[in-house]
Amino acid sequence: MFKLIKTVFNTGSVTTKYPFAPMSVSEDFRGKPELDAAQCLSCGACTRACPANALIMETDEKAGTRRWELSTARCIFCGRCEEVCPTHAIKLTQNFELAVTNKADLYEHAVFSLADCSQCQRPFVAQKLLEYVLDTLAQSGVPAAQLSERRKQLQTCPACRRANNMLDSDNISHLRFIKEQQ
Amino acid sequence: MTNNTSEQFHSQPQAGRIGKNYVDGVNHFFPSAIIDEEWQTENQVTITVKMTSLVEVMKWLYYDQGGWLTVSFGNDERSLNGHFAVYHVLSMEGEVKSFVTVKILVDAQSQEFISITPTIPAAVWGEREVRDMYGLRPVGLPDERRLVLPDDWPEDLHPLRKDAMDYRQRPQPTTETETYQFDNQLGNDSNRIVPVGPLHITSDEPGHFRLFVDGEDIVDADYRMFYVHRGMEKLAETRMGYHEVAQLTDRVCGICGFTHSVGYSNTIENALSVDVPFRAKMIRTVLLEVERLHSHLLNIGLSSHFVGFDTGFMQFFRVREKTMELAELLTGARKTYGMNLIGGVRRDFLKEQRVKGIAMVREVRQKFSELVEVLLATPNINSRTQGIGILSKQVARDYSPVGPLIRASGFKRDVRIVHGQSLEAYGSVPIELQSMEDGDVYSRVMVRVREVFESLNVIEYGLDHLPAGAILTESFDYKPNKFALGFTEAPRGENIHWSMTGDNQKLFRWRCRAATYANWPTLRYMLRGNTVADAPLIIGSLDPCYSCTDRVTIVDTKKQRSKTVPYKAIEQYSIDRKHSPFKL
Repeated sequence: MFKLIKTVFNTGSVTTKYPFAPMSVSEDFRGKPELDAAQCLSCGACTRACPANALIMETDEKAGTRRWELSTARCIFCGRCEEVCPTHAIKLTQNFELAVTNKADLYEHAVFSLADCSQCQRPFVAQKLLEYVLDTLAQSGVPAAQLSERRKQLQTCPACRRANNMLDSDNISHLRFIKEQQ
Repeated sequence: MTNNTSEQFHSQPQAGRIGKNYVDGVNHFFPSAIIDEEWQTENQVTITVKMTSLVEVMKWLYYDQGGWLTVSFGNDERSLNGHFAVYHVLSMEGEVKSFVTVKILVDAQSQEFISITPTIPAAVWGEREVRDMYGLRPVGLPDERRLVLPDDWPEDLHPLRKDAMDYRQRPQPTTETETYQFDNQLGNDSNRIVPVGPLHITSDEPGHFRLFVDGEDIVDADYRMFYVHRGMEKLAETRMGYHEVAQLTDRVCGICGFTHSVGYSNTIENALSVDVPFRAKMIRTVLLEVERLHSHLLNIGLSSHFVGFDTGFMQFFRVREKTMELAELLTGARKTYGMNLIGGVRRDFLKEQRVKGIAMVREVRQKFSELVEVLLATPNINSRTQGIGILSKQVARDYSPVGPLIRASGFKRDVRIVHGQSLEAYGSVPIELQSMEDGDVYSRVMVRVREVFESLNVIEYGLDHLPAGAILTESFDYKPNKFALGFTEAPRGENIHWSMTGDNQKLFRWRCRAATYANWPTLRYMLRGNTVADAPLIIGSLDPCYSCTDRVTIVDTKKQRSKTVPYKAIEQYSIDRKHSPFKL
């Protein structure tokens, strides 16, 4: 009994002042994910990896936009999105105070504009992703002439590209390679 | 992955065959009983036996060879071989330690199989669940009540069949009233009934207990669970990929989710012979023990609370908070660590974390030792827990319970030690099996106290001796219809997982058996002969989780009167044992 009283007195008060004083969390704490929209390509890797379907992507063909949405209500803070993001656009923050009074505040979204197919004029890929791919090709040393050819190809949607490939045209790149080898 | 390494993976299970003697024994004593023999890993074998020999083979393996039934489950294999299948998994803990899975094929037309429950009572819940989920009839099963499905579920709809209705839909309820019959085996109609629940005092899932009492003494007890069956197995099969299920399994339990996650990951790794790096194994081992630490401290704290030692409860929870911080430091989350992928772990331990972690472990050890001394010097703890809620050895042997429950009854069962060589890095850390002989609540608390010290040692050793190397293996291919077991020792006992890969990037079947599933059937025997005031303590010594929203209704069958008692009142009665709220 005496020992217990001693322990109690030696310990003193351990109750923290939170929420009236800030609560510190460890450095790697996995809190609310934040998207840096400027960095995001809307490639969709995070929406595929998300185990809880907290991240979704919707394409609005009429408006020509693609919407990325995070639902904090569904999020399980696993950090898979951060792990698979190719451009480090998603980061988990230390923010754990996520209670809201309005349900709409649980959602966060970002809208990306889509590029139209040069043939059928239908939107098919995010403008940023297209530019990213072309930039990557340029960086990897593809010459300017070829690059404009590539741009033409990449600006057509998969359906149109398939149709083009059925026809004998300059568009078919494998023929060119065969010629070069001969 | 190159072909070279693929072959190497294939050859691994061939290297040694631990447990071959059991297969040979079955062949010797029951000639031509085995139809098929298949090795998953070097210590896991699945034998398909003829249904007519099932009972004899199981009896021989269970009682003569030191086997323990860990899980029984069904599988709809009509798309693979035209049959349903029922599996009984035995953890062989005799001379040779291994896992033997006995499989029977069930005819898709007759849909009947022989029940082993009359011989091995441990199978009772498993067989009842097979009946609910697959509609297969266990012939000879004494208890034909539903286990998992609710009363208002249609008779002919079996959710885990591959051709059952879409998992997102629900059938129309078929009845408005409860039809479940509670079973008073020892008493008669003159007993008063004390229903506890349906949201139970001590359980993380709502459960309904009926205590049949004579005055203050419990004559018998019956209970039903599964009010919050979440359909995780179906969810994993139909909607999630392999990696996503690792996150789902983290949420099987709010307290010991990580062990489920490791158990599940191990099933796929074992089935596909994925070579998990040793560093990843050690990280998993450390985190499994971190989880045990906070869980045991919770239960020791609550045990203090239930015997009326609330100061101790507060003190243990103060120390427990340190272990939660340790988890946050190492994984980035206090609970649901989310660390596992198939093939390893996602996050590494860095030097700073390790140094800080070791310091925290030492602090917890010192503070915990002081508190244990105080706890043991408290007169209440002895008088309230010694000789209470005894689990007899015979009941323990028949029902294959797990964890501190069975270790307190004198059996040396702990997969960390018994099967330690094939469980993460347990083969190479200093750990001892803690067991006691008396089988009462006191022994269970003491086993947990000692295991806390063991866990602290393992964590300190693991953080200090973390091997170098990679933490994740990614180069492997998924192959369809491979299956294996995964097992871990959760704070409450062993968790067993079994999964079979599918051909569509999803699981074909995943069976998860949490520790407490194996422990519930023994509760009735522990409650018998004790008093109502001890019931919360006994149920608590199983270490289920707590829900404080409970209310208790008392029905006096003689006077036809009823009275509703709030949970607080029964808890208070459990603490000071005065002013019984049960008097009508």
